[in-house]
Amino acid sequence: MSQGSAPDAAPRLEAWEVFRQEKVGGSMTHAGSVMAPDAVLAAHYAREMFSRRQESIRLWVVRRADVVDLDDADLLQPPLDRSFKKPGGYVMRDKLAAARKQSGQAKPRQRSG
Amino acid sequence: MTDPLALEPILGPLERGRPAFNDDLPQDERFALFESHIAAGLKVEATDWMPDEYRTSVLRFVEMHANSELMGVLPEREWLMRAPTLRRKLALTAKVQDEVGHAQLLYRVAEDLGKSREAMFDDLLAGRTKFHNVFHYPTAGWADVGMIAWLVDAAAIVAQQALRDSSYAPYARTMRKICWEESVHIMHGRDVVVTMAIGSAAQRAAIQDALDRWWGPLMQMHGPRSPRDKDRDLHWRIKAKTSEELRQEFLTIYVPRILELGLVIPDPELRFDEVAGAWRYTEPDWEELRRVVTNHGPMSESRLAFRRLAREETRWVRESILGVPAAA
Amino acid sequence: MTTARRRPATELDRVLSPDTPHATALAELLLAMADDEFVIGFSDSEWTGIAPLLEEDVAMSSLAQDELGHAAALYALLAGLTGTTVDAIAYDREPAEYRHCRLLDHGRGDWAMTIARRYLYDSADVVRLEALVAGSWAPLAELVGKLIREERYHRMHAETWLERLARTRGEPRDRLLTALATLSTDAGTVFTPLAAEPALIEAGIMAAPFTTLETEWRASIEPTFAALGLPMPEPVSDPGRGRLDHGDAFRWLWGEFTMVRRADPGASW
Repeated sequence: MSQGSAPDAAPRLEAWEVFRQEKVGGSMTHAGSVMAPDAVLAAHYAREMFSRRQESIRLWVVRRADVVDLDDADLLQPPLDRSFKKPGGYVMRDKLAAARKQSGQAKPRQRSG
Repeated sequence: MTDPLALEPILGPLERGRPAFNDDLPQDERFALFESHIAAGLKVEATDWMPDEYRTSVLRFVEMHANSELMGVLPEREWLMRAPTLRRKLALTAKVQDEVGHAQLLYRVAEDLGKSREAMFDDLLAGRTKFHNVFHYPTAGWADVGMIAWLVDAAAIVAQQALRDSSYAPYARTMRKICWEESVHIMHGRDVVVTMAIGSAAQRAAIQDALDRWWGPLMQMHGPRSPRDKDRDLHWRIKAKTSEELRQEFLTIYVPRILELGLVIPDPELRFDEVAGAWRYTEPDWEELRRVVTNHGPMSESRLAFRRLAREETRWVRESILGVPAAA
Repeated sequence: MTTARRRPATELDRVLSPDTPHATALAELLLAMADDEFVIGFSDSEWTGIAPLLEEDVAMSSLAQDELGHAAALYALLAGLTGTTVDAIAYDREPAEYRHCRLLDHGRGDWAMTIARRYLYDSADVVRLEALVAGSWAPLAELVGKLIREERYHRMHAETWLERLARTRGEPRDRLLTALATLSTDAGTVFTPLAAEPALIEAGIMAAPFTTLETEWRASIEPTFAALGLPMPEPVSDPGRGRLDHGDAFRWLWGEFTMVRRADPGASW
């Protein structure tokens, strides 16, 4: 597997982000980064840094420069109320208390589901 | 079916969203917000705004740690060739490999703070930055290899465990990985020492001799006592425990384990003061520590020279093939 | 050099388990293979801490550990056949009793030498392993199956580095050519004929004689060498002695890896 080493272009050492999957069904999580001149060595080094003890079953390696980094607060954390999109936006405690009082029923016991 | 309310993540308002000091505010306001953020136990990422003092302090701290992992390879490296069984050779090779790996992880953290790996190597090899005292001493024999892998790594892990909650999140995450890997090293070291403790008379004498020589540097390793309120690294929560707290913790765990092997700790003053709830010991030689970490230790210059030579030998690979920029 | 009681090479014949057919032949093969992995594992582990890049340092160390692990597994089979221990075989012989091939007798050398040696050795080793993987003695065949799978990773590393060195004009390519020239007449010694070959082939343990395997190996590397404009290794000089006559580099290594054991013979480590 010696393709991809781009021997004619001047090599440049750069950072590659590594994501790993620990067990079947798990998500790919960020593990760290390696310095490498190209994808072939980046993959090799990722295996060494993040799976030499067989601790991963899958690795993704991507050039840091290719990662689209979104951290704009206006986009991710816009200021207007969005509670209708979240469970915390539906507080019914007082209304339920009123309903139970009216119906004479006690609060239902939590059954473990 | 799960109650949807239980799915609401349990986070306080401060922890969600971009910290306010990242906004374009006046400098002193940003500083104040940053200080409160740290004081509240919250974390900093590589992409966050940081006061210069914080950035410099973290970089210095991480860089010294990285340097120590790199230089720490050398005392053990010469014994890689000499390990007396295949299993010990494999274990020691894996341990030293981990140290190189830790150096990689730590230099990466420092690189992402803005300093290049080559610049850090330049500073280390020119003596402008430091590495921990214990790596400035010679390893006289196989017993030293066991003793270092056990007690030096143990003293280091006491410090490293306390760093897992560092305010600088990339460093904290790296420390968690490092601590996980280090636990195996201590077991390997202890196994080597215990095997010799119950071995031949020559082996038993060798480990006592090793302990006699390494006890001083070990006691100096965590550094002199310094008042909590004067320690800027504690203020910024880069680290969480004082030198003395780490030393006491090390003694509490490891003194009994040393004694159970029939070894004599070469400090007649060492004892646990029940009333004070602390270990008493002969004051470590802080002058020796100062001399050693400024590269006047017995092996400081020869190890730095070895590294310089090794670096030169492989320069052609880095510059031609790996794409590291040529030296200025 | 002080010596404690040493086991003469011929004594291996006397303590073989009578239950294992072709034990003598197997012992000769296993010793050669295990010593190869042991010695190259040592050479490769010399890069620990001083490789060209930290990431590459970790990678090289894994390769060295794999090689030592392979040696340990092969020595374990041999130990079973001969009633001794892995460490006794690995450590308690005189330098002249080691049976690794001359390709591996050179010192660590520079990065180009290490890569050239690894490429030449790994490409030869896979041909040897393929000739053993379907053999009639199950313990060896099973182990070889596992070794082949691990060797893929080693060959990936050797190939990508050989290509990088060969294709980078100037110092890298020059150093590679120098290394290949130094190793040229020793490269084929992986396939040094063994006295045991006829027995191994007749027993169905080995699929073909080493002379055939050497030809296969040369054919397998020829396309790569041609594509990279590299000179093919020369025929082996003095082929009958390809696993004998270890020189100063190995003697130095032996002095190192036996140092602690010789200082306290019989001690447990």
